[in-house]
Amino acid sequence: MATDPTDPNAPRVGVDEWVASHEQRRVRRTGLLGVVERELERVPSPAFYLAFGVAAAILPALTSNGYVIKVGLDTLLYMLLALGLNITVGYAGLLDLGYVAFYGFAAYGYAMLASPKFGLHWATVGVIPLVVLATVILGFLVALPSRRLVGDYLAIVTLFFGELFATVYQNGEHMSLLGFTKAKDVTGGPNGIPNIDQFHVFGARIGTLNYTAYYYVALIFFMVLLLAMYLVDRSRTGRAWKSLREDPLAAELMGIPVNRLKLVAFACGAGIAGLAGTVFAAANTAVFASEFDFTSGLLIIVYAMLILGGAGSLGGVILGALVVNVSLEVLRTPGHATWVFYVLIAGTLVARVRPWRWLALVIAGTAGFGFVVHAIVSAAWPRGVHGQAPVGGVLGSGLGHWVILPSNPMTIGNVAFVFLVLAVLALTLLRGWAQRLAMIPTLYLAAFVWENRLAVEPSVTRLILVGVILIVLMNARPQGLLGTSRVEIV
Amino acid sequence: MTEKLLDLRGVSKSFGGLRVISQLDLHVDEGEIVSVIGPNGAGKTTLFNLVTGVYAPDEGDIVFEGGTLLGLDPHEITTRGIARTFQTLRLFLNMTVKENVMAAAYGHTRAGILRSVLRTPGMRREEQAIAQLAEQRLSFFGQRLMGYRWDQPAFSLSYANRRRLEIARATATNPRLLLLDEPAAGMNPVETHEIAELIGRLRDEGGYTILVIEHDMHVVEGISDRVVALDHGVKIAEGSFERVATDPRVVEAYLGTKAAASK
Amino acid sequence: MNWNLFLTELVAGISHGSVYALIALGYSMVYGILKLLNFAHGDVYMVGSFIGFGIIGVFGGATNLSVSVWVLLFLMLLGAMLGGGLLGVMIERFAYRRLRNAPRIAPLITALGVSFFLENAAQLVLGAQYQSYNSFSWKSPIALDHFTLPAHAVISYAEVIIIVGTIVLVVGLTLFVQRTQLGKAMRATSFDREAAAMMGIDVDNVIVATFFIGSALAGAAGVLNGIEYQQVWPYMGFTAGLYAFIAAVVGGIGNLPGAVLGGLTIGLAQAFSIGYISSTFSDAVVFAILIAVMIVRPSGLLGRAAVQKV
Repeated sequence: MATDPTDPNAPRVGVDEWVASHEQRRVRRTGLLGVVERELERVPSPAFYLAFGVAAAILPALTSNGYVIKVGLDTLLYMLLALGLNITVGYAGLLDLGYVAFYGFAAYGYAMLASPKFGLHWATVGVIPLVVLATVILGFLVALPSRRLVGDYLAIVTLFFGELFATVYQNGEHMSLLGFTKAKDVTGGPNGIPNIDQFHVFGARIGTLNYTAYYYVALIFFMVLLLAMYLVDRSRTGRAWKSLREDPLAAELMGIPVNRLKLVAFACGAGIAGLAGTVFAAANTAVFASEFDFTSGLLIIVYAMLILGGAGSLGGVILGALVVNVSLEVLRTPGHATWVFYVLIAGTLVARVRPWRWLALVIAGTAGFGFVVHAIVSAAWPRGVHGQAPVGGVLGSGLGHWVILPSNPMTIGNVAFVFLVLAVLALTLLRGWAQRLAMIPTLYLAAFVWENRLAVEPSVTRLILVGVILIVLMNARPQGLLGTSRVEIV
Repeated sequence: MTEKLLDLRGVSKSFGGLRVISQLDLHVDEGEIVSVIGPNGAGKTTLFNLVTGVYAPDEGDIVFEGGTLLGLDPHEITTRGIARTFQTLRLFLNMTVKENVMAAAYGHTRAGILRSVLRTPGMRREEQAIAQLAEQRLSFFGQRLMGYRWDQPAFSLSYANRRRLEIARATATNPRLLLLDEPAAGMNPVETHEIAELIGRLRDEGGYTILVIEHDMHVVEGISDRVVALDHGVKIAEGSFERVATDPRVVEAYLGTKAAASK
Repeated sequence: MNWNLFLTELVAGISHGSVYALIALGYSMVYGILKLLNFAHGDVYMVGSFIGFGIIGVFGGATNLSVSVWVLLFLMLLGAMLGGGLLGVMIERFAYRRLRNAPRIAPLITALGVSFFLENAAQLVLGAQYQSYNSFSWKSPIALDHFTLPAHAVISYAEVIIIVGTIVLVVGLTLFVQRTQLGKAMRATSFDREAAAMMGIDVDNVIVATFFIGSALAGAAGVLNGIEYQQVWPYMGFTAGLYAFIAAVVGGIGNLPGAVLGGLTIGLAQAFSIGYISSTFSDAVVFAILIAVMIVRPSGLLGRAAVQKV
């Protein structure tokens, strides 16, 4: 009897079933998230990119809120940065910790050529390619001495280069060539370069602070580069880069000029950062060196985006940038942030505490614990509960009865923060019912610290959060950078 | 007179104080299959590393097709026509089977980033040629690495298939000389026999000249035109399999002085 | 030849260099064992410095000390070394331990995350402003007096303490590594972790000890730096850590005498650049030294090239 070739259950002659079904043995998330993930994987990537492009293009039409557009513009700039870094880190496997310096260099470069600073107001169609080219060359120059370095050394060299850049530009208001020439103001020092020219093409000029126009410029740049990366991915250079990431020695011995390709990857990444830099400069009308040093967190944020999305993956670039930047923006306003904080906690509990009985116990326990403690404290020490909850409305008044809000929360809040960190660490050491019971006071402590300290200083909190994201991500997915956990058949 | 395809003359290499290869003269003629044998630590893989440019010799010269290989980067040596496999497999595990082989075609193809992005007709033709080349190289192994296997990630392959893939990948560089480092390591007798046949076919059908490091004497016996025995970085015997296998110095190197004495 | 400038910068270079050396030792030790660049190490230095600052406060504050300065110094060093060591151990346990066998890039990124977390947590809890040890208010010769050198140059007592303290700690570390069981175990583990484990060495313990010692040294460096240079602020660890890093690499990472040599080299290079050129260009000079060493002697001045087995 002949086997029907269209019957999926019929035996496939000559096919090793075990191997052919390897897809099924990949580590998968269970439950709802798993279903979503599997459905998403079915969509071919170009469709995804296209959908994103269309959605992003419509956004400004849907809202007249200038703030939203600005956030969108920032997100697109981050996406460009992540796209460039993706080449350097995700394809070539080079840990460039000075990447943001290329962004800053280009921003300053554009500012120097198109602002009153030196009296140059060159045409946009000339300046942008020139600045990008200069950034690419800079990338080459940085990569050149570093190309024989193992990853760790490259990290240090580039990190220092990044700081060097920021320091030089920060102090550039009296630069002289090693004392031989008179000190001149090159970079404006801490005051940066203001009044940068807006983009103008064929007589049409973008109005100052017209974020919508820059939004579309950034979107177009991004989509074009996304397409380019997609095409390179499926080409000889893309394969070579991937081989380079997988095993540089084997790649070299298969005829791939590893050192040359590293240089090219580095330079390409730098070039994309350069392009983003010009948009940044024009859109913000002023540049300051402090925006590009390590403490600004820009580098860490871009890395967090890259890793969250999965380095090496183009879709990941989009997702990572979106998730991280939107989260960080939400964190800026204490009111929104507090909602998100509690929703996130609740969500994590739902996802991680099983079975449902324990979940109910933990939530009820935390609530009860809180009310009890609050009652005790307000009875024994009234000043302990007279502070202000940073968020109003229903949530605020509810919290007012649950969380302890001292009228002077600084010191005790700080102490509590330290204890919270220790408590969370200790929590990771416990197991089973001990861990779940310990969650109750820890959660309450977390709420206390949030209301009294973290929500109150959003600028620092968002940076702390980024650091935590990196630590947690890397520990949860140590293969982390490549997306899929693989099950190896030996 | 057959051309010496590869010629090592007086090559020495030391690491720190340890002399790993000492005054080695070794040659491979075109169309030959030469086996290199010797106990562990004899310097066999170091030999491969010297030829492929991973290390530079302290003394001596390495000549391929009449030109010296000294001072060349490994990828340049590969494009000159020498390819290798590795004792401990070094596949591009997260890339598919086909991609692994296609990647190795880099050295003799030309489309750059710009042409790839613009998808010029030249680039597209080249991509097709590369794909066909990969399929053809993989077809050398029968059905094992064909069809649905092309799009499987390399980490999903069985051990024996991984070894085969590595050989296929090496051939995609269009080499004249293939260096196979213990191609039968870890294989069962059936697979070992297959590999031995395969090596013969590589020379007969593929036209490759082959230098093999191997421990399994059955394989060595079956495939070799000539055998070279190394011990502690020194060539101790050379010739046909029978001559080398019964050479007392070779026996001593493998089994010790008493065994040699009893021969 | 302006001897005054030369000697002043020489002294500054050696004392700064000593601080860098202490921090660099920790970097080198951890890299030797785990092949990990612990970016968070500089922030341990920062925490140590703050612990010292806190201890000053506990004993009455800079203007109103309730104990003698020597006792204070001892307590500060003790506190910073214990606190720093403990912090280092915690970082290893919770951030790096799971990543021992992960691709090298994973713990590097984690280290970045830890560093950033520590810096901003410190900013939250301790405030972003610069604080000061205010040692001039201690009313003690340590803070106020100095030795006079030729050409009217001076070296303050505090700088002497830094240099002497560093020498003591480095000698102590060397003796420890050469003479004790644990020290031998540390050296063995840094050569070959797997082989050491197979010889019965408890590798986890060795790693914890390495982090503790390295971080304790960084904590001590924080206090020593504070008594002469006064300033503490949350991001001081990043800058000092970066220079110490470069020092460790220049000297040969994984190599302890190299770390000390590297620290002094960078300290002196910085000091002379600041003195003779400008402070902005001092960074460029240090960068140039780094690049030069990377090109000419990639394994560092005293390092040994590692041979990769193919």
